[in-house]
Formats: sequence, structure tokens, C-alpha cells
Amino acid sequence: MASTRKIQANRANARASTGPKTARGRARTARNAFRHGLSVPVFSDPVFSEEVDALARETAGSDADAEILELARRVAEAEIDLRRVRYARHQLVNSALSDPDYESEARVREKDALVLRCMRVGGAFTPMPYDVVEFLDSKPSGPLKLAMILSDKAGQLLAMDRYERRALSRRKFAIRAYDISCMVLWKLSQVD
Amino acid sequence: MASKRSRSNPKTKSMTSAPARVQRFAFFGPPPLLEGEDAALYDDLIGRMCAAVKPNDMIDELYIVDVVSLEWEIMRWCRLKFGLLQAVAQNKLKWFLNQRLDYEAYAEASANALGEILTEILPESPQNNIAEEAKELAHQYVQSQPEAVKKVMVVLEAAGLDADRILDQAKAQRAEELAQEYVRREPKATKLVKELLASSGRTMHDLMLVDLPGKLDEIERIDRLITIAETRRNISLREIDRRRAVLGEALRRKVQEVEEGEFEVIETTRAEGQSPVQARRESRTATGRTLRGSRTAIVKSSKVNQAKGTIRRG
Repeated sequence: MASTRKIQANRANARASTGPKTARGRARTARNAFRHGLSVPVFSDPVFSEEVDALARETAGSDADAEILELARRVAEAEIDLRRVRYARHQLVNSALSDPDYESEARVREKDALVLRCMRVGGAFTPMPYDVVEFLDSKPSGPLKLAMILSDKAGQLLAMDRYERRALSRRKFAIRAYDISCMVLWKLSQVD
Repeated sequence: MASKRSRSNPKTKSMTSAPARVQRFAFFGPPPLLEGEDAALYDDLIGRMCAAVKPNDMIDELYIVDVVSLEWEIMRWCRLKFGLLQAVAQNKLKWFLNQRLDYEAYAEASANALGEILTEILPESPQNNIAEEAKELAHQYVQSQPEAVKKVMVVLEAAGLDADRILDQAKAQRAEELAQEYVRREPKATKLVKELLASSGRTMHDLMLVDLPGKLDEIERIDRLITIAETRRNISLREIDRRRAVLGEALRRKVQEVEEGEFEVIETTRAEGQSPVQARRESRTATGRTLRGSRTAIVKSSKVNQAKGTIRRG
């Protein structure tokens, strides 16, 4: 059984180590679990919210009633969500592609292993064979680079694909609901 | 409800011109282009798709953007697959040429490479032009003239360089150049490569097959991307079809209703002092059908034309 003094000391220590204290530190740790932000609802971002409203207004028209506008807003929300996912996916590939020094982790490991093997065989100061030097200096380009990026980022791309699929499905059903409402409304107006 | 009555169908908004529509597509954000892709081609594709589909509303436009971006993606991945296979073939050909290239085929390249190095490391002499001397010495070296070989070895050794390494580099460089020329289908390179392949009893397919298993994962991944994009594009196309079908059906039904309602059989009323038989006879001699009112008929006809026009546009 720990003494009272020890328990108090433990509690004091625990209180002293419960994460960052400063606002900056707290702000940073608040983003620890942040990966791509695609699971955050569109309406939590004011910029996206504005885009949703603009797109909904553009879709439903200026003279739309509340019901149609609400359905158009759902379509717009799904569309903006979809656009956000596609942009993130596009950026993931494009940033790697436009980086001239891009190197995949697998290739870096392969190069390290090759250098170690050469050093073990010929010693540290022996020049490496030409083909080894050529491989070490080589950087993938063109289709090989893009294929390599796709392989490296396969996991992330797959995760984004799931988000895209969900957004597409939501948009499809939102559009169907919107279409039905518009059609009903139109029929009513024609009957009257 | 009054507002609903006065409201027009959003699916049948007035059409805008094609360039204006392309302008409107800016609303959907920048085109999803990767480095090195042509934005003008993408815009052209959007323009052609608009001309073919003739979008009725924002949602049609949204689907068009979808179809175009997915089609673009499909083309990109197909191009990538082809490029990857070509790169695999080129790399293997380079390796093969590096193994099989005759000395004569890369002697000139070796002489040039060696000449450049000798120009930098030969001791300066006031009488001779170093560049000329280095060039001549390099040519004599590749022709294996003993004196030149001896002199070059001494000079290179003093500079801490290895002649064999320089020749290997020149050979590798020549092999790479030849492989590129072969891919560009240059006749001289094609002939040389075919001769070398024939002499070793191999074909380009054999060479490709060596490295292809290592790339199968990547190719499979690209195929999967193509399949996903194709499926999504087809869904978007189906949705456009569905929207058109719903709109078309509604309009067709409306047209039918309007056409049926345009003419109506109405009972003729007997005039005062006229016997029923006389009245019946008169009604038979007339058309039997009477327009309820010319104004109504005109209104209904205009509705028919309007509806027909919308179907035609759709």
C-alpha cells in the first residue's frame, strides 16, 4: 500500500503531465488526430458553407421556395463534399508528382541496402560499380514516377476513394429527391 | 402555393450559348489536371460534351463535369499504363544493349567522352592546342594504338581516373541513346537493335517479359483505377439518361393531355321553335365537333408547341 505522501506526489505529477498548457500547444495537439479532414462536415467550414449556399441558389433558381431550396442545398452539400474529396486526392498525387526530388520510401530503403552491401564487399573507400552509382543517382520520371506515386499512396488513395463513393451516393439520392420534388411541383403548376 | 403555381420547371430553363456554359463550368472549380496535362484539351472536351448533351440545368452541368473529369482520368490511366509498359521495355532494352553492344557501335561515343576528360587533365603545352591533342589521343586510344594507350593510361592514372570506367559509362550512354532512338522508331537504331536481338535469338517481347512480373502490381492498380473511373462515368451517364427520361416522359404525357383536350365534343343546344329531328339533322351536317372557344384552342396549341419544343431540346 502506497503512503499518503506518495499518492499525493503521484497525483501532483499526473496533474503536471496532462498535456500542453499553452494555447499554441493546445492548438497543435488538437490537430494530432487530423489526417485529411474529409470526415468533417462541410457546414463546419464557413468557406464551404458559402459555396454550398451559392451552388444551391444556382441550382434551384432565385424564385425557388423553401422546400426546393432545402433539397438543392442537400445536392450542393454532397457536391461540395465530393469536390473536396477529389481535390484532396488530386493534391496528394499532384504534389508528389511536381516534387523533383520525390523518392519513395521503398526505393530509399533499397538504395541504403545496396550501399551497405557494396561497403561490406569492397570496403568503405572502394569506388562502387558504375551501375550501382547510376541507380543511386537515378530519380524516377514520367510514367514510372506516377506509377510509383500511385503505389506509395495506394492506402491513402483507397481511403479517399471510400469518401468519394459515399459522397457520390449521397449526391445521387439528393438529386433524385430534388428531381422528384421539382417534377411534382411542375405537375401541380400545370394542373392548376 | 401561389408561388408554386407561378413557378416554372427548373429543368426547362432557357438554354445559354456553349461558350457561356463553358464559362459557367468555372463554378465547379479548377480542372483536375496533373503536371504536364493540357488545360486547353480539357476545356475542349467539356465544350464537346456540352454540345452533345445540351445541359438543361445546373445538375446536368454537374453531371457533365463529372463525366468529363472521369473520362479524363480514364485516358490518363490508360496513357500511364501504356507509358509504363513502354518504359519497362526501354529499360530492359537499354540493359540488353549494354550487354550486347559491339565495340564499334560505341567506339565513337567512347572517343568523345575520353576526349572531353583528357582536355581537362592533359598538361598544358604552349605549342599544341589541348583540345585537338586530346581528341586525337582519344581516337588513337579507342583504335588501340599502343603509344596512345600507354600515354592515356599514365595521364588518367595521374588524375586518379580509370579508363575502363570511362568506356563503360560511354557504352551505357550509347545504349541509352540507342534505346531511345528505337522507341522513336529511327530506322538506323531499329535495324541495329533487330540485328542484335536476332543474333541473340530473342525478341522485344522476351525482354519485356523479364521485367513485367515486377510491374504487375502497378499495372493491376492502374487497371483498378480505370475500372473505378469507368464505373462512375457510366453511373453519371445513366443518371443523365434517367433525368432526361423522367423529363421526356412527363412532357410526352402533358403533350398527349393537351392534344386530347384541344378538341371536345359538346352538345348542341336546340334553338327555339326547332324540332329535335331538325336539330339532329343540322348537327350531322355540321362537323359534329365544335370548338369550345377559339381563344382556348390557341392557348392550348401554344402549350403543345412549347412542350414539343422542350422535348426536342431535351
